[in-house]
Amino acid sequence: MNIELTAQQKALQLEVREYMKTVMTPELLEEIKIPEFKEGGGPEFRKQYARMGADGWIGLSWSKELGGKELSHVEQYIFTDEVVRSGFAYPFLTTESTTPVIAANANAEIREEVVGGVKQGKVVIAIGYSEPNAGTDLASLTTKAERDGDNWVINGQKMWTSLANYADYVWLAARTDPDATKKHKGLTMFLVPTNIEGFSLTPVNTLGVRTNATYYSDVRLPDKYRVGEVNAGWKLITGQLNIERLSLFTHGQVDSLYQGVCEWAAETAAPKGGTLIEQPWVQHNLATVKSGLEVVKLICWKQVWAMDQGPLNMADASVAKVYSSEFFVELYRLLLEVMGQAGTIATDSPGAVLKGKLEFRWRVGAVLTFGGGANEVQRDIIAMAGLWMPRTR
Amino acid sequence: MDFTISEEQQSAQQLAQQILSDFTEVDKLKAIEQQQESFDAGLWQALAKAGLLGLDIAEDQGGIGLGFYSLTTLCEEVGRTVAPVPIIPVLVSAAGTLRRFASDTQRDQWLPGIASGTTLISAALEEYNNDDPTTPACSAQKMEGGYSISGTKICVSEATSATRILLSAHTGDELVVALVDPRAAGVTLNPQLVSTGESRHELVMAKVQVPTEDIIAIGSEALAAMDWAHTAARTALASMAVGLCDKMMRITGQYTSEREQFGRPIATFQAVSHRLADCFIDVECLRLVTQQASSLINEGHPAKSAAQIAKIWCGNVTHRVSQASQHCHGGTGVDRDYPLFRYCQWARQIELTAGSSAQLSGELGQAICAEYLSKVG
Repeated sequence: MNIELTAQQKALQLEVREYMKTVMTPELLEEIKIPEFKEGGGPEFRKQYARMGADGWIGLSWSKELGGKELSHVEQYIFTDEVVRSGFAYPFLTTESTTPVIAANANAEIREEVVGGVKQGKVVIAIGYSEPNAGTDLASLTTKAERDGDNWVINGQKMWTSLANYADYVWLAARTDPDATKKHKGLTMFLVPTNIEGFSLTPVNTLGVRTNATYYSDVRLPDKYRVGEVNAGWKLITGQLNIERLSLFTHGQVDSLYQGVCEWAAETAAPKGGTLIEQPWVQHNLATVKSGLEVVKLICWKQVWAMDQGPLNMADASVAKVYSSEFFVELYRLLLEVMGQAGTIATDSPGAVLKGKLEFRWRVGAVLTFGGGANEVQRDIIAMAGLWMPRTR
Repeated sequence: MDFTISEEQQSAQQLAQQILSDFTEVDKLKAIEQQQESFDAGLWQALAKAGLLGLDIAEDQGGIGLGFYSLTTLCEEVGRTVAPVPIIPVLVSAAGTLRRFASDTQRDQWLPGIASGTTLISAALEEYNNDDPTTPACSAQKMEGGYSISGTKICVSEATSATRILLSAHTGDELVVALVDPRAAGVTLNPQLVSTGESRHELVMAKVQVPTEDIIAIGSEALAAMDWAHTAARTALASMAVGLCDKMMRITGQYTSEREQFGRPIATFQAVSHRLADCFIDVECLRLVTQQASSLINEGHPAKSAAQIAKIWCGNVTHRVSQASQHCHGGTGVDRDYPLFRYCQWARQIELTAGSSAQLSGELGQAICAEYLSKVG
């Protein structure tokens, strides 16, 4: 038991941190002020993403066969944590979640096209799971794919297809067996190129960022774009959920907000003399944040360490999701309270604190407790897998 | 970074589990509770025989020297079984401090007896409105052949059966850590019934003469010793709380899975199962911060802030899990013929020992303030 990073792990952390400073160019910092490009997709984003590919930073966790370096989960987490901390809109769901599944299950031609493209930082993949009537109960999705010779004909609608406005593919879950005895047994995975005929989208502007509704109207997709066996899609979806979450709730992104607010409060005068950070109520909020942050760090470390030892315990994965998502929301509020009215001033308006980062984060944070598996479902899992309690009804 | 628990430590923990559960059957606990002092001497001897009292005592002094982390796993098991043994005052606050700060002669004099279970050295770190042994109100006056100590310590464990009690006092210029003989002239022991149901003691000292050989440390050494003891005790309490809360929550998980109302086990109501899932999350958070503090102490690294954070979580989690467990049991939980009440009593005792969550949040906030004021300079 030694819960500290090794010298080697600290060196990697520093190396990534320094490298990411070169990725966040002045041009990119300007570009992400444009709402449309806040989550990536602009020309400078594309340029820097491709540069990360050329410099060998993409796919570090992949097998050597795929051109990766087979980094351990711990090392991969250190990389992820620093990339998220930098603010770069790195497409983790593309590189860490979907691409390894595609590499393991797609046919040779598509594997070459997609995996090679991702490795070079040229391909982004959007996730097409949710539908207007299939969210938490994902297996009830109705977008259907019907076989027609060498093609599949796809019809339906997906919701919350984030990044689809600039992604190259949608990683699409579709129903291929409407009569399956259990509804999750009739699903198949496809890669849908976003330039294919019959694909369209409309923007969905949210409290936080832009996302999309995507439409599939008689999309004729060659069978080579099917990934995995027909009706065997469910495993491909669920197998990656834990890895997906590891890029959502990293420590560095919130730790840097905490540090930023501490520095700001130490420099800011209090109305009745002294600095803001000397006020007991400010110290109370900062101490509460600090105690919670420590757990975020330890949960992440323990999870990636555990993943290097073997499969992740189900209850532990759900604990990480519930705790982190609820703490992130709490942290945003506790830090915003320290700022008071100034906390409401948006990015680029005069007087914005920390460039308005917190004003933006709480908006995006509204989805955390239900996104990536609603916390109620996670609590059901914890009670069953962690405490051996019967299933709730 | 490595969360692996070594095989040696695992087997020590398993051995502790086995001995502790053998000695904590309900009838045995009830019998001990009838005694004047709730201390199970037979269990203490069994732990000594198995080498478990010497987990953090060097081999030269009759221990097995596995280290502080290993000792905190024993604390966890004691919490899990609410075993009536003074594990923290004797093995952490007293023996742990002696091991690290006493002279060779003092170590040889006291530690072998603690490891073998023949000598009991307790510790008195708390005073009224003061849990910090680096700033005692108790006073010490240098005199021929030692010090004269006056003042009051509270809620002292094993005060009547201990051979010596480790405590601190202040001369006005410097801190002194001493072993006080509770039978010495000038000592008055007033029984104090505390939340656990134990009888502890208020230790009142009026010019108690402590010979030089029982002075453990003076000045900066004494300060380091009491800093260590404070941090170690907070961490050990949090470890005990991990076992305590884990067990409370599991008792409740099982009870609600069996208890039927409206024709079904109440655990099948989400309102019930989610409250227990929240306990599970709380316990896991507490476990992580506690393991961090205890592994830092084990490695000899600074652990003050980590222990503060662990104790903040400890106070919050003991309260929440205890109350959730009572709530989900309905009336059954408060019945003294059912085991849960012991856990709830200990939960409150641990919560309020060595600094409450509110107090420690205040301390942590002040430390954050100092850190960032010096940063922005």
